[in-house]
Amino acid sequence: MLVALVGNPNTGKSTVFNALTGMRQHVGNWPGVTVEKKEGTMVVDGKVIRVVDLPGTYSLTAYSIEEVIARNFIIEEKPDVIVHVIDASNLERNLYLLTELLELSPRIVLALNMFDEAKKRYRIDVNKMRDLLGLPVVPMVAIRGEGIDELKYEIIHGKFNPRRVEYPEDIEKRIEILSDKIKQIGLEPARWYAIKTLENDADVLKKLSGMGAKDVLHLAEHLRHDIEDIFGDDIESVMASSRYSFAHGLFHEVAAPINVGGTTITDMIDHVVTHKYLGIPIFIAIMYMSFQFVFLVAAPFQDAIDFFFNGKDVNGVHINGLIDLSYAWMSTFMPDWLASLINHGVLRGLGAVITFLPVIMLLFLILSFLEDSGYLARVAFLMDSIMKKIGLEGRGVIPLMLGFGCNVPAIMATRTLKDETERKLSIALNPFIPCGARIQVFAFLSYIFFPDNAALVLWSLLMLSIVVVFLLGILYSKTLFRGESQPFVLELPPYRIPTLKGVSIHMWEKSEGFLKKAGTIIVGAAIIIWILASLPWGVEYGSEESYIGMLAAVLAPLGVLVGLTPEAIISLFFGFFAKEVVIDVLYVLYGNKGAILASMTPLQAYSFMVFMLFYTPCVATLATVYNETRNIKFLLFVIGEGFLVAFTMAFLVYHIGSLMGVGI
Amino acid sequence: MKLSELRPGEYAIVKDLLGKGAIHQRLLSMGILPGTVIRVVRASPFGDPVEYEIRGFFISLRKQEASYVEVDKIVPLGMVPSGSVVRIVLIDGGVGFIRNMGSMGIGVGETVRVLRGCCPMLVQTSKGKFNIGRGIAYRIFVR
Ligand SMILES: Nc1nc2c(ncn2[C@@H]2O[C@H](COP(=O)(O)OP(=O)(O)O)[C@@H](O)[C@H]2O)c(=O)[nH]1
Repeated sequence: MLVALVGNPNTGKSTVFNALTGMRQHVGNWPGVTVEKKEGTMVVDGKVIRVVDLPGTYSLTAYSIEEVIARNFIIEEKPDVIVHVIDASNLERNLYLLTELLELSPRIVLALNMFDEAKKRYRIDVNKMRDLLGLPVVPMVAIRGEGIDELKYEIIHGKFNPRRVEYPEDIEKRIEILSDKIKQIGLEPARWYAIKTLENDADVLKKLSGMGAKDVLHLAEHLRHDIEDIFGDDIESVMASSRYSFAHGLFHEVAAPINVGGTTITDMIDHVVTHKYLGIPIFIAIMYMSFQFVFLVAAPFQDAIDFFFNGKDVNGVHINGLIDLSYAWMSTFMPDWLASLINHGVLRGLGAVITFLPVIMLLFLILSFLEDSGYLARVAFLMDSIMKKIGLEGRGVIPLMLGFGCNVPAIMATRTLKDETERKLSIALNPFIPCGARIQVFAFLSYIFFPDNAALVLWSLLMLSIVVVFLLGILYSKTLFRGESQPFVLELPPYRIPTLKGVSIHMWEKSEGFLKKAGTIIVGAAIIIWILASLPWGVEYGSEESYIGMLAAVLAPLGVLVGLTPEAIISLFFGFFAKEVVIDVLYVLYGNKGAILASMTPLQAYSFMVFMLFYTPCVATLATVYNETRNIKFLLFVIGEGFLVAFTMAFLVYHIGSLMGVGI
Repeated sequence: MKLSELRPGEYAIVKDLLGKGAIHQRLLSMGILPGTVIRVVRASPFGDPVEYEIRGFFISLRKQEASYVEVDKIVPLGMVPSGSVVRIVLIDGGVGFIRNMGSMGIGVGETVRVLRGCCPMLVQTSKGKFNIGRGIAYRIFVR
């Protein structure tokens, strides 16, 4: 048995899905697109039932991928039951989608969710609703698990005898004529196809002309003109009005408003958080505090994980970590190169993956909290006019800000952007935002080279990255990533308190996805780095005689142009692995802090940092870019743009600095 | 006039939608149709986008999108000061509600005199004097 969940966004659909399936769920992508597909199973009366969560939509037109996915799923997979999750506190608009669903399938169970909130606004006569619709109707409060058992019961035993959504007589007649024709060419459900053909639905028209059904198209055109003439309006408005009058009528039959009036809590909060002058500072403060929280909590875990794998130097004495111990143990019974590959390649890679976890989990915790509470929609509202300049909608600010924490969850968070082009643009810009690890390296180098002005240097780098992101955004959105501008109709749902369950499931899903998919790629890259650093046979790991060292020697002439020493180039190679390693490598190559300081002029050091600010992000970020786009060309583009920008900026800094005689 | 020309706190009734394609459908499926009442809630810090209330929920529209919506400005009865005489242009509710109002002489096209401002307000209709609570006063629109 197959059950599909359908509904508007923000109706608690995920909460219902989680309540039905518990932990028996997994997340993937719909074929060919980057829209998330959630699937799971539930067991009722010993029967195993497959549950698919369709994307949240307001209607079922052909204008967005989400809507096309939802309706194609219903037509092609023919779910046995559709659960329409409705926000009962917003009944009228939610019923609009029902009118469209009823044209696709009679087997619909209405889950009247948010019944607790609805009760504050009106009295809903559920029995009357059941009678009028001829469908099972289940009042629910999904966050408290109320109504879940009843919902399961109706999924199995429900009786479906739905009332049809009637259009005005003049339209009904024509729908019938057309659907008779459509029945003849074997399309089901014929009534739905007839309505969509009349409505000029791009997808359906394409399908019909693909089938060579010219006469149907002609007939439809003719009938459509009739209707438009009779009603004196375009067909889309006419049909939508009819559906809304059904929804409107039903709504007023079953719901009696309780006149409360006055200001709501949501209104009071919005008054402050979207305030003309306070709104943006409050947003920045919230993000700042979130980061403080993330790093405060994550740091000890990261240190512990790092210590566990790599050991630690205490007062010049090295305490062995897992890698050291296991390497020592393995070399007793296997060739040294194999032990080194397993431990310095694979195990080190694994360590890197796991060190990422605390930050990723916590950033997702914050993100799902912002999203589920409703604040994310306000951020979109606040930031829209700024972000529009770089070709993104308001929500595009979130991944960019998360980037200061870690680019991996930031790129995963670009999913909040619905438009494919905007998503790609947002992914392409993200690596230029320096993550926490890069900022650490900058802080460290700034203290070595600019002891008196370290903070200033650090700030200049952050500002530089923001300026570059902004300029590139403007450039990209006008050239490579020019999309047709999508309508930006954003719902501002009431504030709600997120549930721990919802937030933690979300957090776990994302982290699991990272571990499984990106994890493999990262370990693979770790092996490649190991090979480059250890071959040819017998060289010292990562030394100038290794392949990495040779590559660095080849690149040295280029490096000279931007003031990079060969050692700095080698350290950047390892930085590809994880940025914090850059410091370790410099120490290994130079020996001590004094030697590092002596190796470069302050200008060279600054140029080095600028290069590091923009060049290829770490392998985990690249793995995530690939995962989210599944597009090798795009991945190469991200790598390429990184080098190009890094080289250009470092070149400018180094040469302008030299000309002006600063820091040499 | 265009929806984008209204200011926060003002009300309007939709006359026509001018856009085509995606934006047209998007507005329709959100319930923005001829005859729908819209309240302008607030503008974002840079003045664009703007938040609107329709049918009891809240959405944000960019100026560009709101300019596709042709509207007439209307005023809820609850905002009319005492002493004014106004004509009713719209009653927002189901059949039952409209019938109830009709029995008090409050119907589209009727003229009423406001004797005391909101709330509760006192109005003089063709059928007598009636007290009207806040919840109702904001579902009757006048010009
Ligand atoms: N008051 C109330 N809140 C709910 C209910 N169901 C879900 N929520 C909350 O509504 C928000 C949105 O829920 P979610 O499941 O993410 O909605 P989706 O966007 O439709 O998937 C979350 O903060 C939930 O905790 C409910 O029945 N009553």
